[in-house]
Amino acid sequence: MPVATEPLTNATSLVRTRLVGVVSPASANAVVSPTGLAEVLPGQGGVLTSVQLGDAATGWCSDHLEVGASVRHAEPAADQALQVLACVGNRAVVLDGPGAATRGIVAGKHGGLLVAFPSKVLALVGPGDRVAVEAFGAGLRLTGEDSVVLHSCDPALLGWLLDGTEPDGRLRVRIAAIFGREAAGAGLGMSASRFNLDLDPVLARDPVTGAAADLRLGDVVAVADQDHRYGRRFRAGWLAVGVLCHGRSAAGGHGVGMATLLTAPADRLSLAGDAAANLQSFWAAAAA
Amino acid sequence: MTRPHDNRSALVTVTAEAVVAPARWHPPGPGTGDDGSALLPGCGGVAVGVHMGDEVGRWLGDHLMPGAAIEDRADGQPGPGPVHMLACLGNRVRAATGDLLGVVAGKRGGLAPGFLPPSLLAVEAPDERLERICPGERVMVETVGRGLQLTDHPRICLSNLSPALLDLLPVQEQGRGLAVGVMAWLPPWAAGSGIGQDAWIGDLDIAEENALTGQALRYGDLVAFQDIDSSAGRFRRPGYVSIGLMCHGPGTEDGHGPGACILISGPADELAAVPGPASLGPQLAELAARS
Repeated sequence: MPVATEPLTNATSLVRTRLVGVVSPASANAVVSPTGLAEVLPGQGGVLTSVQLGDAATGWCSDHLEVGASVRHAEPAADQALQVLACVGNRAVVLDGPGAATRGIVAGKHGGLLVAFPSKVLALVGPGDRVAVEAFGAGLRLTGEDSVVLHSCDPALLGWLLDGTEPDGRLRVRIAAIFGREAAGAGLGMSASRFNLDLDPVLARDPVTGAAADLRLGDVVAVADQDHRYGRRFRAGWLAVGVLCHGRSAAGGHGVGMATLLTAPADRLSLAGDAAANLQSFWAAAAA
Repeated sequence: MTRPHDNRSALVTVTAEAVVAPARWHPPGPGTGDDGSALLPGCGGVAVGVHMGDEVGRWLGDHLMPGAAIEDRADGQPGPGPVHMLACLGNRVRAATGDLLGVVAGKRGGLAPGFLPPSLLAVEAPDERLERICPGERVMVETVGRGLQLTDHPRICLSNLSPALLDLLPVQEQGRGLAVGVMAWLPPWAAGSGIGQDAWIGDLDIAEENALTGQALRYGDLVAFQDIDSSAGRFRRPGYVSIGLMCHGPGTEDGHGPGACILISGPADELAAVPGPASLGPQLAELAARS
């Protein structure tokens, strides 16, 4: 039986920083599919009002659809800070427009920082509105677990993600799906603390049944043989765990996007299949 | 031995302007899990003494390409412009004086759409010519190769391949398909940075060098990526193969490694990659010296 314990971390030493970005304009992406067919589809940016956290990650007529609002900063260095310092699970609030004071959470990273808001107020948020993010989690470490490296992970989210330890000391991590090592696409070679890794949804399995996984936006997923301590790379015997935050593309090599939360040698983790391992559940629990 | 037919008689040659790229310093990227991530040259400038046929690991560089790095003339950090998108390996390059400098021998480019710079072409040339050119100088590239197809193999896609280099490629008709010689055969998980990007932009990195099992590759060697298609972007597609030419050396960061510019891709049942001594390095150096 796993032992339920609150993970020991250095969270009390971490700095909480208030950052501001602006909701990006929508994009119309011209993409060429593997068959050579060119299409123009709704792309990244704007505010996605029809698809929420917890909804299907695939099957939409879109290119890299992003959860919620896509937030960026016009100044490159400030934009990078927003990308690196904000963590999945951090709280955010709309500052402008009819949606002002609406609260949301950071749901992922792509070109912009992805912030989810409650569906009933999403329609009140638009490109150009400022969003403030309480950035908290950069530098987070698990005490006594030097081989486990965390990225973009709010300390409260980490507590929800980890489900105690196995009798042999391995950390139990709840996941909704696992991807085979050949699933990794665009995002390889990029910094693991920014952007995300595109994964071929065809290679996702339900960790409990082994059947093809029914992927949802916000799902916590693992990828075999990926080392995300620094850049995202293949390394046999490692695992990367993250949250699905964008949909797939018509273009080859681009799949559903996983923002990295945690990486470790596979023998330090015990992956526990859990259909509720979706950011929506964390958000509901945090709001309660 | 029958070589495939092609449509080269229909191709046009267009002279495009480029400029010798300055050496650039990019802010540190993701770093590496291995020790000693040194800061090394390799992005832009003129690498005198580095040539096709050299071992890619011989030099202490970061994504180092042989010879002169050239790029589209643009304001600020250039993305892939007409020179990058039209130039093919084997195209001739003239210096501002009109004298022949060398031939295009490689491409380097961004990791994925939206991450485009640097967008460099390598020009293989004899040292005595490389020593006379400087960053900022104008050069002319005689671009030809866009549209090149193998007439009897419409499922096979050519990219970045000039007719001159096609003539040097170790390819022959074999049954109903083609056989191409390659020095190395790489599993799909060895493909790193460059997945998801247009096949005409830059290259595909071998990010898992264990896949080479100690084999030392040279600039110009042909390598095959299993289960990667490059017909419309470089992407994983079981049953396909992409064959490229080694054009840049190892990178110092995770997910990067020595890179190949993709020349030919298609279904493996029509395009067979045959292991053997397959390198175009010496021929490209000779072509550059001759031109």
